[in-house]
Amino acid sequence: MIALESVSKRYGSKTIIHDISFSVEKGEIVGFLGPNGAGKTTTMRMIAGFTTATSGRVTVAGYDMASQNGEAAKKLGYLPEHPPLYDVLEVSSYLRFVAKVKRVPRAGMQREIERVIQACRLEAVVHKEIYKLSKGYRQRVGLAQALLGDPEVLLLDEPTAGLDPGQIQETREVIRSFGENHAVLLSTHILPEVTLICRRVAIINHGRLLAIDSPNGLQQASEKTNQVSLLVSGPADAIRDAIRSIDGVNSVQIRPNGTRGELLSVDCQVDVRDGVEAAIARAVAARWSLHRLERQQPTLENIFLRYVGDSGSNSTGENE
Amino acid sequence: MNGLLAVYQKELSMYFRSPIAYFVIAVFLLGTGYFFVYNIFLTGIGTMDQTFQNMGILLVTLVPILTMRLFSGEYSGRTMELLSTLPLQPWQIVLGKYFGAATILVIMTLATCINLIPLFLYGNPEATTILAGYIGFLLMGLACVAIGQFFSSLTQNQIVAALITVPVLLAFWFVGHLQGFQGSAAMRSLFGYLSFAMHFGDFIRGLLRSEAMVFYLVVSAVALTLNTSYLQWRR
Repeated sequence: MIALESVSKRYGSKTIIHDISFSVEKGEIVGFLGPNGAGKTTTMRMIAGFTTATSGRVTVAGYDMASQNGEAAKKLGYLPEHPPLYDVLEVSSYLRFVAKVKRVPRAGMQREIERVIQACRLEAVVHKEIYKLSKGYRQRVGLAQALLGDPEVLLLDEPTAGLDPGQIQETREVIRSFGENHAVLLSTHILPEVTLICRRVAIINHGRLLAIDSPNGLQQASEKTNQVSLLVSGPADAIRDAIRSIDGVNSVQIRPNGTRGELLSVDCQVDVRDGVEAAIARAVAARWSLHRLERQQPTLENIFLRYVGDSGSNSTGENE
Repeated sequence: MNGLLAVYQKELSMYFRSPIAYFVIAVFLLGTGYFFVYNIFLTGIGTMDQTFQNMGILLVTLVPILTMRLFSGEYSGRTMELLSTLPLQPWQIVLGKYFGAATILVIMTLATCINLIPLFLYGNPEATTILAGYIGFLLMGLACVAIGQFFSSLTQNQIVAALITVPVLLAFWFVGHLQGFQGSAAMRSLFGYLSFAMHFGDFIRGLLRSEAMVFYLVVSAVALTLNTSYLQWRR
């Protein structure tokens, strides 16, 4: 439903988005993950048709956004980074305006407006002017506007920003149920959100797409470089040799522990086979005193930081 | 057409949900009422001629307040992102807003007709001349609104939009005065042709000249076309 083919965006001589390609299919929620300033909002705006790509092709529901954005707009619901609200209007008249522009048939309009009001829990504020609403309500009026007319494609730029934990859960539920038979692209920098509701995750930094896979796939890919961390007291060279000789250990790094001088922090990169950490524990505990041993599970957070960290050092390398 | 209508209704309800429409209409009526009373009772001439001239100046200074928020407000309120991603063509946005502001113009023009009651009760004015004056006033007002709306689309600051529009409209109003300083006949007729006041003068005298009508309509059309192409270019 959404397809980007080697899309780039330049402002003057500055390239904001470098050659991004990915697609979102019907019935799929894709999370768009990246630190602030990574290019998430610019990419969202190109898909929504607010700005055009400098090169490459963006298609929404089969329509090219460069030439047929009017047709594509009918299939699209979009919640921008800042909810686009008219402060002086009441919630109901704001939603009515959007419904009219989206050509919701007059006969079913009231029912459709009531549907999104219910989905976004706006019953209490329907007749209030928008400037009187709290940040959480404003965000949800923005979401309600995007859901109006049951669009085939939904673009949500940080939909849970400014919501309290209860509202976040409700909003995720709304998005999850909507995603069952629509295409949803959701940008966020909140990691648990992605693991909870997204089928696939696209990681972006410095305008480049670093990875796109299911949360599990990303996790498995990085399990190959699992890490075991130890806290030991003993001679550094002997410990290194002992651990290195164990089958399944790829590399060993030893540094003095910052807080307690006599202790050493040991980080071992190990492969996926079972029992490696037990073998390390036996080898070390037999000769020296082992204070702590843990196998670090690759959380999405670690994976994300690794991708983002790598791309950060790459791009500084390029600039030099 | 539905999109245009929705934008028009939104604009109109936003005018009346903020103080702007009330303020502009109130100041315009106060000003017009003052000049009407001054012209009729102090000079003792039972026509609208001088009052129409004064209404023209009031219009030129008040229209920028009416039009300043049309696009600047959308930019600064970040709602332009909504308008330009909804199934709306740029011309629908431009015309919807234009008709919204034009409706306020028509309301304030019609409201001045209350002055005609004493005029017709106690004087003997020419109805056709007054009608021509009102037609000219509306046409000039439509041109001013189009110009103000175009300048509003260039900046996200409403005050800046108004500050650009005021001198531009004043220039169109007063440009006829430059005729006296020109040696060449071509320049004289150019300044005369561009003058809002001189075309309006024809209407006030009861002349419905097609040249004057076409002039105001062309100015409106040019401003609205520039406005639409600017929105397209911004993407």
